[in-house]
Amino acid sequence: MLEIDNLVAGYGGVPVLRDVNAKIAAGEIVGLLGANNAGKTTLINALSGMVKPISGRILFLGEDISKLTPQARVELGIVQVPEGRLVFPEMSIRENLLLGGINAHARKHRPQQMEKVIGLFPRLGERLTQSAGSLSGGEQQMLAIGRGLMAEAKLLMLDEPSLGLSPLFVQYIFEIIDRLHADGLTILLVEQNLNLTLRHARRCYVLERGQVAVEGDADTVKNDPRTRSAYLGL
Amino acid sequence: MTELYQALAQGLLIGATYGLLALGMGLVYGVSGVVNFSHGDFISLGMFMCLALYSAFAMDPYVSIIITVPLMTAIGALVYIFLIRPMVGHQFLMVVQLTLGLSLVLQNGILMVFGGEPARTPSFVESKLIILGDVVLRVPHIVAFVVSFALAIGLYIMLRSTDFGRSIRAVHQNAHAAALMGINVGRVQVLTFALGIGILALAAALLLPGTPIQPTQGLRYTVITLLVVVLGGMTNFVGIMLGGLIIGIAEAFGTIYLDGPIGLLLPYIIFVAIMLFLPKGLTWSSAR
Repeated sequence: MLEIDNLVAGYGGVPVLRDVNAKIAAGEIVGLLGANNAGKTTLINALSGMVKPISGRILFLGEDISKLTPQARVELGIVQVPEGRLVFPEMSIRENLLLGGINAHARKHRPQQMEKVIGLFPRLGERLTQSAGSLSGGEQQMLAIGRGLMAEAKLLMLDEPSLGLSPLFVQYIFEIIDRLHADGLTILLVEQNLNLTLRHARRCYVLERGQVAVEGDADTVKNDPRTRSAYLGL
Repeated sequence: MTELYQALAQGLLIGATYGLLALGMGLVYGVSGVVNFSHGDFISLGMFMCLALYSAFAMDPYVSIIITVPLMTAIGALVYIFLIRPMVGHQFLMVVQLTLGLSLVLQNGILMVFGGEPARTPSFVESKLIILGDVVLRVPHIVAFVVSFALAIGLYIMLRSTDFGRSIRAVHQNAHAAALMGINVGRVQVLTFALGIGILALAAALLLPGTPIQPTQGLRYTVITLLVVVLGGMTNFVGIMLGGLIIGIAEAFGTIYLDGPIGLLLPYIIFVAIMLFLPKGLTWSSAR
């Protein structure tokens, strides 16, 4: 579904990612691991079109998308649930969800999508008119994921969904992620939490200083000594 | 007492239009972080366009808006795309400098075309009055009040319940997240600026009947608009309309009760007094 081909990208011409190669097949749940500053967020922002590639290609469903605008990519179904959730705090849950489905492709199906999202997160459905800023961190994470689903994502990219959540909420959010995967959604899971990710993702990439240091299925990555060193920065 | 009612009524009527002027500025600030110091000169431009249309076709200012609103909206879009956008994201002061420069260009452009003599644009309602008890109201003021409030309410509904309105608020609250939703942030910024300038064309027609105009008046409107926007807490819709009414009333009280310069200063004195006690302006978080 997604193919990243020798991608070099960064800010102001200074590369953060250097020759990254990765693949995600349809229906797969893939983990993207790495310590702080390893380039994880830069990579998914490059996939979202928020960071321009310096060289290399990104193919989505066989088509080169590396020159497309962020809007065009959302319309194709490449949807990011950003780190820190970034819900619109002064808007209601309902308005946040509506904004999630504002792209030209998803706009027509918003009522049906909203029903699905509320089915997945009944807690959001109970308080549609409440402002997003008044929600707890866990509820905001539900809203951020719900908002991403409203865009009719084909590839859902979750950036640090466990960040700052209580263990109970982390467990809940990951159950939801498993459920979305079981329903056939392709998921890229960006996480710092190594063990958690290895339990849920079938395959992982470990980034270290902007390069893929380790890749393979969860067990391979778990047992590779380079994974630990990538995390400890040795 | 009559004077009090007169001042209150007059202030409220004009204040609504001040509120409308400021809403345009507040919206633009909210989505692009740009404070437009040529705001008042665009009002001037709108007024002189009405004058030109009257001179050429004897067109009433209320009719000229059919031409001036689309024209000024288009000018707003072009100014944003070619002048302001390249500056956004750089130093805040560079954008200020740019819009100040634009103010001088507009002012002198108008001076070149129309000359420096104060001019008036007649309107069919210009001299009509409505008398309620002891209070005398000028019809153009009533028209301005009704239209300004109707527009403000229309804008409010647009921001609350249309996709375009929600995009504007999304860009204001978090531009990065808005882009991730598939909102074209650049487009929203251009359209909001164009909308802000288009509103000025309308406000110009509302303020025009019975008011003498001259090329140098722009700065006064810019300053009034800035007072109102700051009073209203920059982006707070209800706060800005309320700020407009307060400045309008302060101005009316100043001219009716106080002589000369002190009277003209009253809006500024009231402004400073309010800001001393409410440094964030007339905001309350739920009203955004």
